[in-house]
Amino acid sequence: MMQEKRKVFYIRRAIFLIMAIAVAIPLLVKISMPIIVSWPTRDLYEAVEKVPPDKIVVISNNWAAGTQGETAPQTAALIYHLAKRHKKFALWGWNSVQGPLLAQQIAEPIAQKFGLKYGVDWVNWGFKTGSDQMVRAWARDIPGTMKEDINHTPMSKLPFMKNVRDHKDIGLIVEITGSATVGTYIRFLYGIYRTPIGYGCTGVMVPEAFPYLDAGQLVGMMRGLVGAAEYEELAGYKDGKAGKRMAAQSFAHMLIIALIIVGNAGYFIARRRKNAHAEGGQP
Amino acid sequence: MNHPDAWVIWIGVICTLAVYSILYRENPVFRFFEHVYIGLAAGYGIFTTVTQVLVPQWGIPLFKEGKWSWIFSMLIGVMFYFVYSKRHVWIARWAMALFIGTGAGLGIAGFVTEFVPQMKASIKPIWHAPWTLNTFSFNNLLMFITLITVMSYFFFSIEHKRPVLKGSAQTGRWLLMIAFGAIFGNTVMARVSLFIDRMQFLLFEWLKFHQPY
Repeated sequence: MMQEKRKVFYIRRAIFLIMAIAVAIPLLVKISMPIIVSWPTRDLYEAVEKVPPDKIVVISNNWAAGTQGETAPQTAALIYHLAKRHKKFALWGWNSVQGPLLAQQIAEPIAQKFGLKYGVDWVNWGFKTGSDQMVRAWARDIPGTMKEDINHTPMSKLPFMKNVRDHKDIGLIVEITGSATVGTYIRFLYGIYRTPIGYGCTGVMVPEAFPYLDAGQLVGMMRGLVGAAEYEELAGYKDGKAGKRMAAQSFAHMLIIALIIVGNAGYFIARRRKNAHAEGGQP
Repeated sequence: MNHPDAWVIWIGVICTLAVYSILYRENPVFRFFEHVYIGLAAGYGIFTTVTQVLVPQWGIPLFKEGKWSWIFSMLIGVMFYFVYSKRHVWIARWAMALFIGTGAGLGIAGFVTEFVPQMKASIKPIWHAPWTLNTFSFNNLLMFITLITVMSYFFFSIEHKRPVLKGSAQTGRWLLMIAFGAIFGNTVMARVSLFIDRMQFLLFEWLKFHQPY
């Protein structure tokens, strides 16, 4: 019995080690894998393309460091696309204090690369608490609700805010999140004002998002890391992190599939042996 | 992204390895860092509540801008603390009733705008004029079968013994299993993505391996 327990202990640790190796190898050795863009990502990309020049895109950063493995590449790919097309965008967050801060770190170098000026072409409104009630108020009066940006600059002193008053000035809101927050935008922005909502979520949340997509409540969606890689492909973002991780992701998935097959085969073989042994042992 | 200082990377490395040490076995290093994270999150939460909520959104309007009506929000907040008094617990109930009422009102309004369109979207034509192969939707048929069979699985008023209901409920159960498999697959994908992020950090930012891409 003790030996069996010891065996299981070592097998588990061996699996963890094999997984680490399976992930590390494609990161260290260049392995090119094709990225096939799925329709939810393409729809989101096209929705961004269609935003008229007199309207802004709002990136809602309701994510934190815990999910940045998926949400940070999504944010980067989206900001890259917006900066490349010189579309005005605003960053903010209301579910995670870290979100707008981490998004700022992503946006600064990309904006610099495309010569975008902070406060004119893009802005970071920072974190604002209040959830549903605040989002409702924000939709009716953006400068009045936000009051100041992340650097404590009053809204009135930001040239970006000159023509931004309420939901009518928003061409698209993209909610990037690791939590169940998109419902707030669906209920109080899309549901009331028909403001288009895009979505970037972690892989865990993807199945829950499809009813929103099917009902037309979301214009498109980035599905976890693979969604970010697809968006990088569409936006031509060569320095993006997601595309480089896809080979490692695929290797890890192949390993898991192989382990499931081996595990199940082992289970059935062991059961057959046990049954045969029991039948053989009968008088 | 900005390149962090060496000491920031080292802190990140120590935290990452300490958390992953649980994969070998439960140990004091993991437990220490677990407590550090909880403490940090609680402290950070209190700090941000004070600096980003209480001071700018309540203190400044009340004390600096002279918006005296904000005093009522404090009164309602204080009412919650009467939950600790057996004699005056009714005061806390009033505050709770107010919040539950607000929540329910918002919830009902939200239900109409959030879920009614989804219910509408789940009833789509399977086949329509001019009744050719192109106008037949297998997706909509599958969705219809799934909807009916899964709902019958959760129909508990009649025992699932009659052949129609039994067959439908069993089909619904199988379809639910497939859905759970898809959800679990997405969960695995998400967890692997987070692991890759940490692995990239360890390999390239800490160990400085050559990036082949």
